[in-house]
Amino acid sequence: MNPRKDLLNIASLTDEEIHTLLESAAPMKELFTKSVKKVPALKGKSVLTLFYEPSTRTRSSFEVAAERLSADVTNFTVSTSSVVKGESVHDTIDTLQAMKVDYIIVRHYHSGLPDVIARHTKASVINAGDGAHAHPTQALLDSFTIKEVYPDTRGKRVLIVGDILHSRVARSTSMLMKRLGMEVAYLGPGSLVPKTQYTGIPCFSDFNEAFAWKPDVIYLLRVQKERQDAPFFPSSREYHKIYGVTEERLERISGEGMYIMHPGPVNRGVEICDLAMDYERCLINTQVENGIACRMSVLYHLTPKTQH
Amino acid sequence: MSSILIQNALIAGETTPVDLLIEDGIIVRKALAGSIDTSSVDQVTDANDKIILPGLFDLHAHVCQPGYEARERIATASAAALHGGITGLMAMPDTNPVLDNAAQISTFNELCRHDSIVEIIPTGCLTKGCMGEEQASYDSMRAKGVRIITDGDKTPENMLLLYRAMQYTSSLGMIFGLRGDVPSLTAKSLMHPSTTSYQLGLSGSPACAEEIGTETIIRLSQETGNALHVQTVSTGGSVEILRRFKNESSGLSSEVALHHLIFTHENVGQYDTNFKTLPPLRDTSDNEALIAGVNDGTIDCIVSDHTPCTPFSKKQDFLDAPHGMTGLDTFLPVIYHYLVKPAKMTWETVVKSCSSNPRRLLGLQPISFEVGSVANFVVFDPNGESKVSNDFLRSRSKNTPFLGATLDGKVDVVCFSGQLHSF
Repeated sequence: MNPRKDLLNIASLTDEEIHTLLESAAPMKELFTKSVKKVPALKGKSVLTLFYEPSTRTRSSFEVAAERLSADVTNFTVSTSSVVKGESVHDTIDTLQAMKVDYIIVRHYHSGLPDVIARHTKASVINAGDGAHAHPTQALLDSFTIKEVYPDTRGKRVLIVGDILHSRVARSTSMLMKRLGMEVAYLGPGSLVPKTQYTGIPCFSDFNEAFAWKPDVIYLLRVQKERQDAPFFPSSREYHKIYGVTEERLERISGEGMYIMHPGPVNRGVEICDLAMDYERCLINTQVENGIACRMSVLYHLTPKTQH
Repeated sequence: MSSILIQNALIAGETTPVDLLIEDGIIVRKALAGSIDTSSVDQVTDANDKIILPGLFDLHAHVCQPGYEARERIATASAAALHGGITGLMAMPDTNPVLDNAAQISTFNELCRHDSIVEIIPTGCLTKGCMGEEQASYDSMRAKGVRIITDGDKTPENMLLLYRAMQYTSSLGMIFGLRGDVPSLTAKSLMHPSTTSYQLGLSGSPACAEEIGTETIIRLSQETGNALHVQTVSTGGSVEILRRFKNESSGLSSEVALHHLIFTHENVGQYDTNFKTLPPLRDTSDNEALIAGVNDGTIDCIVSDHTPCTPFSKKQDFLDAPHGMTGLDTFLPVIYHYLVKPAKMTWETVVKSCSSNPRRLLGLQPISFEVGSVANFVVFDPNGESKVSNDFLRSRSKNTPFLGATLDGKVDVVCFSGQLHSF
């Protein structure tokens, strides 16, 4: 793999890079079963997490990943009240540049903001989710998880259900899945699924149609209840009825041996019923575990410009 | 007494080159090429193989002074205009303070009289402070030379206010400059809904919002008998609507920004903020429909929508960065490079949409090359080239996507107000 400074999206990765990142996540995961879970790969390096959006899971996942590679981890706490203007982001970049950190893991509610940070810092920037744009490490862990159950991913069908419009996960994960030879389709309310002419991804109007397509994996997206402007659907109850994995749908899913995935955190009773959380082919917890392995792989392979 | 001789001048739309003798800014002789003696002339310019166009008039530029001098000033905007072949422009009222009363217009006119090397005509605000709430004082601004009332980039949300303002001014003979928009549909949008907006995760501004808005303002202007100038049309659908209403609505005119004729959403690439515009850049099919609209006269004018932004502001992420690109410096070379040279538009159409139509709208004298006329023209060299560097740009802001590019054609000389400006 040629030296790469940043991981901002899936589109900029070469096939070889995707292969390398996924391949080396497996030995990282093996480490977790050992009594000593640490390797000295990033000893002496500093990793900084810069989250402008509340997140516990992704942030901890990155922290654990960095610590298992023996890096020093700092949380840069951004008080949301002081970050109303774009100027302060630039000032923050200058501050970070002066701190000489090696890796910056950033999450921001604006699409494309990590690109700006990456352009203005020597540290490696890892996009941990930006607006509705990209979430590349989520995409890697999703595909890694599917590869564990289907070593040959070619021709496997993944149905992504829910709020595609605002989902960086849907964009990144569907792009990577397609590049690994999987077929992807969307299902969701008309107000939350962009037109197929823009996405290049077929879209079903209901679960019956989608089931007839014979998906191998049902990938549920988190419903964002906290949208402030005009609502995108009438109620969580109605959403669950039409687009949720209900107990009836779970029967069909389990009957046909489909897997269930979700990037978390889950809204029980909205995207998914309680029963489905305990379904044997529900991979949600595996995704969390694989997330650490894939993030270790990413940290391990990036080359900050701070080193030479 | 200064005299200027332009030799071998091929005027756009004509077939035989002529010699033009100008004394004190007035064309005093026009004769067959080679027939005017050079001996007693102060300045001689040979325009062989070049084309002569009347000075262009840009109906839509943001000059930012007073108030936003970090972005642009009247002096730099006018120098940039002249450099792009433009000898007259209409300034948007979104300065600070805004141009919403006679005193502000007088101050602005005074600034222009001192600093500008082109003719600048101010627009006046539609509402006080551009706030969309109260009518501005139209008649007193009219007395100071304002012909078009507009809130710049903003479309009023309150239709009743607009309706009454139109009713009120229907007897004043002013023109409303409005952009078709439904603000509630486009408030949070950043670009055209497209493959690019999906990939970048940026919210889309539906074309139908502009089209519904365009039809709405046309219907209001018909109802009130007011003249309407539709600003920065950007979709093929809007062109259709304008074409439908054009014949039945005598006071209806429209403009398109030059960048909407040549760029699409794909130019945004990986968040290039120089391509963030209002309205957003759309599809190739829209480019084609808009060019066809200019060619068949549905759209009257091509404008620059010159919007200077500071380097810092454009370095921010796509959401925080302001919209707009500068366009004055490169205006005529871009028209030649992207439209005239590839035979998408003739020089006659360029003259019509960038000079005669905007001047007619504002009630200005048309530019003539006949003896006795004021000399106001551009010598354009199609064989030259314009290397767009920081030094090339006279505008104070450099937020043009052409920075670093080389455009075919070059503005050689501009003759305006008795002076010959050579570039």
